[in-house]
Amino acid sequence: MGRFILRRLLVIVPMLLVVVSLTWALIRLAPGNFYSGEKKLPAAIERNIREKYGLDKPWYVQYGRMLSNTVRGDFGESLKYPGTTVNAILAATLPVSATLGVLAYLLALVVGITAGTLAALRQNSRVDYASMTIAMLGISMPNFVLGPALVFLFALSWYWLPPARWEGFGVHMVLPVLTLSAVYMAYIARLTRSGMLEVLRSNYIRTARAKGLSEFDVIVRHAVRGGLLPVVSFSGPALAFLISGAVVVERIFALPGLGNYFINANLNRDEPLIIGIVAFMSIAVLIFNLLVDVAYALFDPRIRY
Amino acid sequence: MLPAAARRAGQVAVVALTTFLAAACTTGAADSPYFGKTQPLDGQVLRYISGSEPESLDPPMSSGQPEARIMMAIFEGLTEYDPKTAQPIPALAESWEPNDDNSVFTFHLRDARWSDGSPITAEDFVYSLRRGLTPSLASRLAYMAYDVLNAQAYNEAAVFVRDRATGSFVMNPANSLERLVLPGDETARAEALKAPAMALARDKEYVPIRAEDVGIEAVDAKTLRFRMRQPIPFVPKLVSHQFFRPVPRRTVEQYGDTWTQPGHIVVSGAFTIETWRPYDVLVMKRNPAYYDAAVVKLESLIFYPLEDITTMMNLYKAGEVDATYNHTVPSSWIPLVRQYKDYQDTPEVATEAYVFNTTSGPTSDVRVRHALNMAIDKVALARFRRAAKPTTSTVPVGMFPGYPSPKGDVFDPEKAKSLLADAGFKDASGRYDPSTFPASDLEVTYNTSESNRSNAEFVQAQWKQNLGITVPLRNMEFRTFLQTRSRLEYRGLARSGWIGDYMDPFTFLSMYVIEGGENGSGWVDPKFEHLLSEANRQHDQDARYRMLSDAETLLLEAQPTLPLYNNATNFVKKPYVKGMYANPATMHAWKFVYIEHDPAKWD
Repeated sequence: MGRFILRRLLVIVPMLLVVVSLTWALIRLAPGNFYSGEKKLPAAIERNIREKYGLDKPWYVQYGRMLSNTVRGDFGESLKYPGTTVNAILAATLPVSATLGVLAYLLALVVGITAGTLAALRQNSRVDYASMTIAMLGISMPNFVLGPALVFLFALSWYWLPPARWEGFGVHMVLPVLTLSAVYMAYIARLTRSGMLEVLRSNYIRTARAKGLSEFDVIVRHAVRGGLLPVVSFSGPALAFLISGAVVVERIFALPGLGNYFINANLNRDEPLIIGIVAFMSIAVLIFNLLVDVAYALFDPRIRY
Repeated sequence: MLPAAARRAGQVAVVALTTFLAAACTTGAADSPYFGKTQPLDGQVLRYISGSEPESLDPPMSSGQPEARIMMAIFEGLTEYDPKTAQPIPALAESWEPNDDNSVFTFHLRDARWSDGSPITAEDFVYSLRRGLTPSLASRLAYMAYDVLNAQAYNEAAVFVRDRATGSFVMNPANSLERLVLPGDETARAEALKAPAMALARDKEYVPIRAEDVGIEAVDAKTLRFRMRQPIPFVPKLVSHQFFRPVPRRTVEQYGDTWTQPGHIVVSGAFTIETWRPYDVLVMKRNPAYYDAAVVKLESLIFYPLEDITTMMNLYKAGEVDATYNHTVPSSWIPLVRQYKDYQDTPEVATEAYVFNTTSGPTSDVRVRHALNMAIDKVALARFRRAAKPTTSTVPVGMFPGYPSPKGDVFDPEKAKSLLADAGFKDASGRYDPSTFPASDLEVTYNTSESNRSNAEFVQAQWKQNLGITVPLRNMEFRTFLQTRSRLEYRGLARSGWIGDYMDPFTFLSMYVIEGGENGSGWVDPKFEHLLSEANRQHDQDARYRMLSDAETLLLEAQPTLPLYNNATNFVKKPYVKGMYANPATMHAWKFVYIEHDPAKWD
C-alpha cells in the first residue's frame, strides 16, 4: 500500500508538466492577447508591454520560465491584475470555493445516500419512485435554472435569504450550497440505489443472512460498504472539481471563488493565472483520484494493492 | 424509461413547481413607486455595484470605466467630472488658463494634502506623469498623454537629433512646436534615415529622450504647466482622466508594485481604502485629510465588483445594494424597471456603430457603404433597443452644446437601391437586382453578446426587407474579434462601439486618425486629419466646432463607419441616494453623494 501511494505521488509531477505544457500551447494558439482593447494600442505601448512581460523573448525561453515557475509553485504576477500574484489569488479564492464545494458535497452525500439506500431497500415502492423522480428532476434541472428559481422565491419574493454574495459562514451560503449540491445529490442517490441493488443480490449478503446476522448488521456492515463503491469512485473527480470552483454557481451568486477567476482568466488571456489554476486543478484531480483508490481498499476487502 | 408511477409523480412535481413560481410572481409586484426594498443602512453608507473586478488601483495601470469610478473616490485630479454634466470642474486645480494658441496650459493648485498629511504639490504631478509614461511601467493608457510635448517620444524610448557643431536640436519640419524625433532602436533608425526628407537628420548626434524632456513642469509648488505638442483646447477635460491623477511618490517608491495594498496606499481623494478583497468587496472610508472633507457626508463607500447583470438586479431589488453602474438593467427588464423612479436614463457620450472593411470586397465601394447605411431604419432600431437614440452621425448629437452635428444618410431604401444599381448590381433594364449582389461576400461580425446579436439580427432583417439580400452574421469571442477587426480579416462589417474618453467631439473623430488608434476600417484621409489639427488650433470654440463638424461631414461622406445609435445610460439607484445623477459619462463625484434618511425628501 505504501509503495503504491508513493508511486502514484511520483507520477503527479510528469502528469502536471504535460498538462501545463498543453495548456500553455493552447493559450498561445488562441487569437488575441491580454492587452488588446476596443481601441488598438499604439505600437510603442504594445512593445513596452511585451518587453515588460518578456513576451519579446523566444518561445523556448518563455516556455522554460513557465515550467520552472510551475515546478517551484510560484506562478508569478497576473497579467490582467498587475501587482497581484497568482498565488495570492489562489490563496484568497480557494477557501471560498472549497467551503462551498465541501458543504455542497457533504449535503449531497447525506441526502443522496439516505435516499438511495431507502429506495434500494424498498425497490418499486412509493419511496423508491418518489426519490428517483426527485433525483431525475435534480439531474435534469441545470443549476443556472435552479439557482435563479431559488433566488426568485427565497430572496426576491419572500425576502428570506440574501440573493447573492458571500459573507463567510452564514445565511449567504444557503442558496448557493443548495443549488450546487442538487445535481450531485441526485447522482449519488441513483448511484447508491443501483450499487445497493446489485450488492443486495450478491452471494456474500446471502451468506451474511444465512449466518443469522440481524438485518441492520447485514445492511450497515456488509451491504453499504459494497454498495457505496460507485459513489466512492464518483466522489474523487467530483470533489476535485467542486473545490476548484463551481463556475456557474459562483457567477449567479457573485461569489469570490476560483471559478469566476478561471473563466475571466481565459477570456482575458491571463497566462500565468490560467496556468496556475490549471496546475492547481490537475493536482487536485490527481490527489483525489489517489484518495479514491485508497478508499476502495478500505471499503472493499477484496481489493489489495 | 421510468415506471408509469414515477412519470406521474414527475408531472405532479412539475405542475406544483410551476404553480409555486406563478404564485411568487404575483406577490412580487406591489404598488410602490420604487423597485424592490427601500431600506438604507443606518448612517451614511453607500453600497454600489462598480462593474468588473478592478485591474489595479494604480491610476495609470487601470484602464476601464469601473476603475475610473474607483479612482474618483480615492485619487483627486486637477479637474473632476461635474456630477450632472460630466464637464470639468475645479478639483486639485483651483483655476487654469491656456496661452494664445492653446498649446500651453497653466494650472493653479489649491492647498491640499495626501492622506499621510504631506502636501500635494506641482512636483507630485510632474513625478506622476513621468512615471505613467516610463516605458518599463508599460501603461496601456500612456496614449492619453501623447499630446503632451515629447510624451509619446519618451514613452517610445525615442531619440532627439542634435547638431554636434552647434549643440542645437533639429526641430520637426512638420511641427514648429517640437523637436525632430527618431526611433531609439538602431536598425529602425537607420531605416527611418533613408527617407529623403530625413537628410537633415543624418550624421548627427542622437540623444535619448529623458523623463525631464516631457512637457510638464512645476513652475513653483502651486503652479503646474503643461506644454502640448500641438494646440489642444480640451486639456482641462483631458486631465480629469485617471491617467493624469497624481500618485504619492514616497509610497510608490517605498512599496513598489504593492503600494496600492490597504495599509500601504496613500490617497488624495475624499475616501481612503480600508479593505480590498478581489472579486468580493472594496470598502472605502471618509478621508479626514481631504481638502474638502467638510463637504463629504458619506462615512463609508462600499463597492461590489460584479459581472452578472441579473445578479446585480437581484441584489438591488432585495435592497442589498443602493445603486449600480451603467448598463446594468437587462434589456428584458427595462419595460418593468422603467416604471419606477429608480431608473436612471440620460443620453450617454457613446456611439454604437459598425465599421466597414474599406480595403476589400463589396464594401470597398463607397456607394455600397452608403446603400447599406440608408437601408437601415434606425428609428425603429432605437425603439427596439429601448435605451437608445437613433443617429446618423458619429459624434453623439446634442451632447456638446454648440457643436453643429452634420446629418448623415437618412433612411431611404429607394435611394439605397439606386446606389446599388449605380454600383453595378442591376438587371438588363438597369434596375437594382438583389440576385446580382454578392451578399455572401459580406458578414456582420460582432463580439459575442446578447445585445450585439440582437442588433445584428435587426440589421440583417432590415437589409432582407429593404434590399432583398441576406447577409450572414458571425460572432466571435471578444479578443479573437479584436484581432480579426484590427487586422481587417473580417468581411464587410464589424461591430464598433466607442465611449468618449473625455467630453469633447475630438474623442470620437480622432478614432479615424491613424495615430489615434486604428479604427479597423482601413480608411485613411490626410485631408480629414488636416481639418482636425487645424480645428484644434482655433481659440474660438464656435470656430473650432465648425471645423470639427466639417471633418465629420467628410467622414460621413466617405463612410468608413455606419453609426447605429447613441446609447442612453441605464442604471438604477434607490430614492434615498442623493447627489448622484445620470450624466453622459456615468461618472459620479462621490464627495457629493449622500444618503437621505427622511422619506419626505426622497426622489
